[in-house]
This record gives sequence, structure tokens and C-alpha cells, in this order.
Amino acid sequence: MDPAGSAVSHPVAQLLLDGIFTGSSYALIAAGLVLILGVVKVVNLSHGAFFTLGAYTAFVLSARGVDSPAAAALLAAVIAFAFGVFLGKSFINPVRSHPFSVAVGSLGFAILFEQAAQMLWGPHPVSLTLGPPLASAGGLVLRRWGVVSFGVSVALLGGLSLLLSSRLGLPLKLIAEEEEIAGSVGMDVEKIRYLTFAAASSAAAVAGALLAPATAITPTMGRAPLLLSLIVVIASGMETVRATFLLAVGLGLLSNLSAYFISPGWSYGTLLAGICILLVLRPSGLAASMGRRDY
Amino acid sequence: MSAPRKPGSPPYRAATGVLALGAGLLLFLPLAGLDRFFLDILTVGFLLAAFAGSWDIVGGLAGQVSLGHALFFGIATYACALLTSLAGWPFPAAAAAALLLCAGAGAAVGALAARLTGPFVALFTLALGELAHEAVLGQTFFSPRGGYSWGGEGGIPVALPWRDLSPWASYYGALAFLLLSTGLMLRIARSERGLFWAAISGSELTARASGVDVSRYKTEAFLIGGLLAGAAGVGFAAHVGRATAADLSLELSFQAATFAAIGGRGTVAGPVAAALLLHVLFQGSGLGPAARVLLYASALLLVLRFFPSGIAGTLRERARARRMGGGGTP
Amino acid sequence: MRFLARLTRAVPIVLLSLSLLVPKHALAAGAGPVESLRIGVLAPLSGPFASGGSAFLQAVTLAEKRANAEGGVLGRTVELVVADTQGRVEIARSEALRLLSREKAFALIGAYLSEETVGAIDAASSARAVLLVPVAATAEITDRVVREYGRYRYVFRVGYSIDQWAGMMAAFLSERKIRRYAFVGASIRWNRELAEALAKALGPREILPVYEAFYSPRSPVFEPVVLAAVGKNPDILVLGDPGAGSVEFVKKVRETGAPLPILSVGGTLGDARVAATLPLSPPLYVQAAAWKGSSPEATGYAERFAARYGYAPVGYSDTLPYDAASILFSAIRAAGRADSEAVVTALEAGVFPGVAGRYRFDRSHQAVWGTPELSGVVVQWEKGGSRIVFPAR
Repeated sequence: MDPAGSAVSHPVAQLLLDGIFTGSSYALIAAGLVLILGVVKVVNLSHGAFFTLGAYTAFVLSARGVDSPAAAALLAAVIAFAFGVFLGKSFINPVRSHPFSVAVGSLGFAILFEQAAQMLWGPHPVSLTLGPPLASAGGLVLRRWGVVSFGVSVALLGGLSLLLSSRLGLPLKLIAEEEEIAGSVGMDVEKIRYLTFAAASSAAAVAGALLAPATAITPTMGRAPLLLSLIVVIASGMETVRATFLLAVGLGLLSNLSAYFISPGWSYGTLLAGICILLVLRPSGLAASMGRRDY
Repeated sequence: MSAPRKPGSPPYRAATGVLALGAGLLLFLPLAGLDRFFLDILTVGFLLAAFAGSWDIVGGLAGQVSLGHALFFGIATYACALLTSLAGWPFPAAAAAALLLCAGAGAAVGALAARLTGPFVALFTLALGELAHEAVLGQTFFSPRGGYSWGGEGGIPVALPWRDLSPWASYYGALAFLLLSTGLMLRIARSERGLFWAAISGSELTARASGVDVSRYKTEAFLIGGLLAGAAGVGFAAHVGRATAADLSLELSFQAATFAAIGGRGTVAGPVAAALLLHVLFQGSGLGPAARVLLYASALLLVLRFFPSGIAGTLRERARARRMGGGGTP
Repeated sequence: MRFLARLTRAVPIVLLSLSLLVPKHALAAGAGPVESLRIGVLAPLSGPFASGGSAFLQAVTLAEKRANAEGGVLGRTVELVVADTQGRVEIARSEALRLLSREKAFALIGAYLSEETVGAIDAASSARAVLLVPVAATAEITDRVVREYGRYRYVFRVGYSIDQWAGMMAAFLSERKIRRYAFVGASIRWNRELAEALAKALGPREILPVYEAFYSPRSPVFEPVVLAAVGKNPDILVLGDPGAGSVEFVKKVRETGAPLPILSVGGTLGDARVAATLPLSPPLYVQAAAWKGSSPEATGYAERFAARYGYAPVGYSDTLPYDAASILFSAIRAAGRADSEAVVTALEAGVFPGVAGRYRFDRSHQAVWGTPELSGVVVQWEKGGSRIVFPAR
């Protein structure tokens, strides 16, 4: 066996790179949730189900011979958008004045979807071919899914940030911040809300479709991404998109470094402990300047 | 959030009547020839109902939505298991220690969470619960007798002073616990403390401005909720004879929150009744797995769509609106 | 008063729904002339463990069909009664009670996870019903039989114990002339116990673990584990996770381009549809109880399974339950009557053929694995198929 055959010769540099990639995948999953928490102002626990939907879309396409991630992402986005409009119109909007019931009801939708997925595609894990890494240069492995996560999450979150600061995004900003005014100037607030919800669900499905080749696809695969995205979005303070991205990458680095240097069994534990400490130190999340906002 | 009701007002009498009828039915049921399986389902149902009620102290009455309530349940079952099986304590001593531990954990979590609001409380409790779950899944304990380890996903046995306890004894024991704890929780809800909780739940800023010691009452809510959840955990340890990682799982925490949402957050009786009914209906009816999960999830969506404050909560709102003479709900 | 009136109207509905909960058997007393032989199956059929649980149920169903095609057991038709254990100890316990007290199951097969199994054991033992454990590996199960024979003598484990499992993998590793290995699994108890048992079995042969790691079961990050494992230059990596995480782990090892062979304990990586999506060089080995081609019985089983369910069995979560059911039927036939005590005696004394070999049970009611009569196999995945590489023939 060739001891130098391994492509990895700079473990710490590789670790940092992988940490950024892991964090980008958290950001990618969380991108839609930022929008829902910011504009619709509800905690959506069906986000993981849309992620799963995206992954199975990629699987079904691949089984039919279409192996293009872009096609999978596009189809997943369209399907998730339709489901999102339905869920937003028929459940989220009417129940919205009871945020707790929205959270539990969206969990019900996730359970419903998990069972449907198990019945449609079977309970056994399925898998897609991952393909070789994008490049293995200079002793570093540039993982394909990592580059995609980084690029797409930056594009999604950056786009969202731009949208909110532009004229086009004014209705969203108004609804997010001054609900009554938005209604009184004649905006169709309800419509903008369910469209926002649907767009955010699409984003989760796109994340699922893009990340599917790197994992195993199972009906319950959305549970861990849901938790991670909730952690990232709430702990970042639900205020600024940049804080969300930074926190995601920070947590990705934290879990990679702690898995390598402390113990792999504690990578998730360290992340959770980090969140607890963050909340004890900054009760309104990472981004909030203390006491600025009372929820 | 709604203010506590005065005893003597009509809905209060009606609610007491329904509760008394339910208690009577449950006391009578075993005499009507229920089999062992059904007694077991109801026994677990009583414990889960008390657990859901304890969630409502924190998440409903005090308005601090917790997604890590299983933490207290699991601390209690693990304390019972470790103290009896590894340390050799008698079960009653272990149970007492477990309750103390849960009260302490409740106070600690409450003190830390007191500065947080809204979704940050949910995230903080979720992270703590997950942390505990991760810790026990990977942790093994040496078993002194067998030369193999306990712990991890397989859990730890609870050494009980009895074996093959009559299912009737478990049933009536758990029922007595449920009735007592529900009575206690309803009393607290209608006490002065309940009023302060309602104020905090309504608007923390207003409560603080009117001079309510918000931190203190929040911490107390976690303490009392944690203690009662721990009591349910002790009952569970005594009935099932085992502590497993599932006792600390997010799934269990979500289950408590779900029961509360269905029953009516902040009504105590609603979450208790919803937990008992849903558990009996979905675990006791022998439904196939797919049908069970699909029905459960659809029921969740439909109930919350048409009763957004939960069944008891929405009925209470409607009754109140009718009393106001308005007729319809806003 | 209006409330009371509404309540009176609700009473019949409540009573009606309660009556639905009364056991069907209580109503239909004294059924047909020849009663069927009811066997309870306990497996997780919903939630994260539904994959293993549904393969479990499919395999037992296959065994039931076969027994009935052969004329049943003692002239009685075998009928399965099924329960979903949901991965929880209290559900497994109450479902075992349901199968025994309400569905009148004569014996039980199950459950899948350790925590479910310990929940079912007490219910079965106090009802004096035979319980065959096909998959759950914790030592506690057989330890109870030794310590309290009088109570737990009804429990038999068909699948391999952790020590036997480690022994079979150790035999393969030493035959391959491995010197240094890495062990990676999920941070759960049986993976840690397996790592320990493997190190103990390989120590005397001077095959040493150069790296051991257990990743978070709920939300793992694999890249740093891969990095650390590859950095230690082992000859092979032993992957202890039987679940979906193993697939992602293999992908991330292969991404680095490290020439590291992987030996999986089986489970998800035994699924041909999954293996088809993975790079197969360097080699990917999978341990299994039996495989198509390992014996005529195993081949027949694999073919019948594939014909009925449309995919090839993984040789672990399906094969072991299938053998458990076959053993139970043989033991009832050998006992000559459906009587728990007689079946226990038959199980203790007999030798039972299954697809993985010939089963006999030791003093702790553990099937004796790792003998020429009954040993697992190791297969290597290849383009478009698989090859049995151990034991060599």
C-alpha cells in the first residue's frame, strides 16, 4: 500500500476548509428559514421535510437517467413551491396569530411527509453517486458538495440581503417591520406571506437536491438539518442575514475542529454547548445589540 | 394569554364537572374488565398526561415555550436507574433523590433561561435537552453483576422492590398520581403565582413595568414544571423498569408540546386530557403503523387549523366571547 | 344546563368509541375448528428504524409463507400478528402484552433494537411465552437467562452476540494479513462494545487498532473523522455503523482518494442498490450472516426474497429474523405440541438448520456462531455484483 497515496497531506488546512464547507451546508439549509422567521414571523418545523423532498426529487430524477443537479434543484424548487403555497395558504396564514400552533402544526406536516416518503420510496436508505471531488490540488481536497454549498448559500443569502435593501424588497421589509402600515397602504399582506413561505420552502428543497449526493437519503433525513437550521437562525438573532451566514460557518468550524481535536462523539455536543453559552452571554442572539428589541 | 378564572364562574364549574366525570370513568374502567394491555396503555397514558401538564406550567401558564422538557423526565428516570442499579439505593430513596435533582435542574435551567424570551427560550431548552440526549447515548456504565456494560441506547434497568406488579396496582397508582398532580397544577394556575405567570406570558415588558419580579416567577415555573415532569419520570421508571435515551429525546419534548397545543396551551386540563386521549387512541387501538402515523399527523393539522388555541383553549375563548354578549368570535 | 344536555348527547358516542377498544377475541369466543398458530412479530415499522424493521417483517412473512406451503406447523396454519415497537421500550412492552394477551400469540419474534428487546423480554417471560431475539446484540439479554434461568428461560438469541460478531470479523482480518486497523462507529453503546471486543479478539494476533472514533448519532460530521483515520495509515477501516450514516461515511472516505479498504458490519451497506452508487475500489467488504451462494439454502432464500420483494436481502436484518422464524417452527414441530415448556426443551436440545447454517443454543440460550456449522460470511462488492471472500472455499 502506498502511504503517500492519500490526497490529504495538510490535515489542519483541510480541516478548516471542511469546516467552512460544513458551515456553508448549514447556511444553505437555513437560508429559507431566515426568510420565514423574518417575514412570516413563525417557527416553521416543516423545513426539514422540504429538504427531504428535494433529496428524493434528485433521487427520482437520477433513477430516470437525469443526473443533473441543476435540473434536480429546479424541479425540487417548483414542487416545494406548490406545496409551500398550499401549506402557507391553508394552514400557516389562518393560524398565524397563534405562532405556537403554527410550529406544532408544521411539525405535523413534517411527520405526514416522512410517512408519505416511507410509503412512496420505501423505508430503506437510498443513495446517489457522489462523484469525485472538484479538485485535489496542493494536498487539499476541494469537495464538490462543499463548493456548491458555499456558492449557493452565499448567492441565496446575499440575494436575500440585497432584496431586502432594494426597492423591490420594500414590501417584504415593510411586512417584516411595520405590519399595520403594510396593510393600510393596500398591500396584499396575506399573499406576500404565503408566497414568502413557499419561496423559503423551495430554498430548503434546493438545499436537499444539491446535498443529496453527499449523504444517504431516508424518509427521516430532514430531522438533523431542521435542528441545525433552527439553531443557526434563532441563535444568530433572526435579524441580519450576514450574522446567519457567519454563525453557520462558525458552527461548522467548531464542530469540525472539536471532532478532530476533542472527540468525534462530541462534535454535535460542542455545537450545542456553544449555543447555550452564546445565549447565556447574549440573550437576544448573536446579532442583536443588547436590549434593542423585545420579542 | 388568558387570566385565571375565579372558582364559581360557570365555565369553571363545567370544567370541574367534566374533570370529575373523567376521573370517575377512569376509576371505574378496570372494573369493567379491561385486559392487561389496555391497563398498561392507560397507565403510560396517565404518566404522559402528567408530563404534558407539567409542560403546560412552563410553556402554557408562564408562556416560556420549552422544546427540551424531556430533560427533566429523563433526569428522573436516569437518577432512579443509576441510584438503584449501580449505587444499590432502595427505590423510594432514589425516587426522592430524583425529585430533588429535577427541582434543582428546573431551578438552574429557569435561572439561566430567565433572561431569554420567545424563540430563544425554545432554542436554549432544545439545546440543553439534545446535549443531555447525546451524553447518555454515548455513555456506558459498568454493570457490577454481569461483566458487561449498561447505558447507551439500551438504557439502564431500574431495580424495583417488586416484580410483575399487578397491572391494577400500576393503573391505580398512576391514576392517583395524575389526579393529584392535575389538581395541584390547577390550584397553582389559579393562585396568585398563576396570575403573575399570566402577566409575564401576556407581555413580559408590561409585567416588568408593573413591578413583577419576572426572573423569579420564570425560574419558579421551570422549577415546578421540572419537578412535576420529574415526578412523571419517576412513575415511568417504576412502571417500565428502565431508563433509556428516548426519555431525554427531542421527540418526547416535542410530544409534550404537541399535546399541549392540541389540548389548549395554558389550560392545564386541556393538555392533560389531550395527552391521555391521543395516547390511548393511537397506541391502544391496534392501528397499523402507517395508518397510525398518518392519522396522528392529520389530526394535528386539522385540530390546530380549526382550533388554533387548542380544543380547550378555543372552547374557552368562544364561551368567553358568548358571555361578553358578542356572539361570534373575533 | 345547556352544557349538561350536550354532555348527555356525547355519552353514547364515548361508549361507542370505547367499545371499539374491547379486544376482538373477547367477542368472538370459540372460533373455527382448527385454530391457527399465532406468532407475534415485534419490529420498528415507523420512524428512523423502519428500514431494519420492515426488512425484518418481510423476512418473517417469507418464513411464514414457506411454513404454510409445507402444510403448516403441527397441522395448523401459521398466522403472524404484527406490532410496531417504534424504537421505544414502553411501546415494545405494551405491544408485547397486546400480542400475548389480546392477539393470543403463542410465541414472539423480536425486537430489533436493544431497548425494545429488553421491554419485550419481561412481558414475554411473565406470560411464559417463548421469545426469539434475532438482531439485538446486547449481552444483557443472555446474561439474564444465566442469572435467572427460572424466569428468563423462554428467551433465545438467534443472532450473533457482540463477542461472536467481533470473533468472526477478527477471523477475516487475520486471514487478510491485516496489521493495523481503524474502527469507526456511531457513539452508541453496542458500537463501543464491538470496538472493545474486536480489540480483545485481535490483540493476541498482534493486530492493533491505530484509531478508534465514534461519531455523534444524531448529527455527525464525518470529514474530521475521515481525516484523522486516514492520517493514521491503517491497512483497513472497520465501520461499525449499520445505518444510513455508514453510506455518507464511505462517500467521504472515498472523496479523499485514500487507498483504504473498508469492512462494514453489514446493514445498509449490504444493500446492492446502495453499493451500486459507491466507488468500489479500494475494496468495500460487508459482513453478513448468509449470502446468496454461501449455501444452497441461502441461495434459495435470497432468490425467494428478491422475487417477492424486488430487492436482494442485505443478509442481516432480514436473514436473522428469517432463521429465527424457521427455528421456532422447527422447535414447535420437534416439541410435538404448542406448549412453551416443551418448545424451550426442544430449543435447548436440538440442532436447527437455517439459511446461515446449523443453529444450536448454549447454556445462556445464545446461538453458537463462529463455528464451521454456523459462521457469517464477508462479501466484497464488485461492479454489478458481489463476491464471497470469506470463508475461503
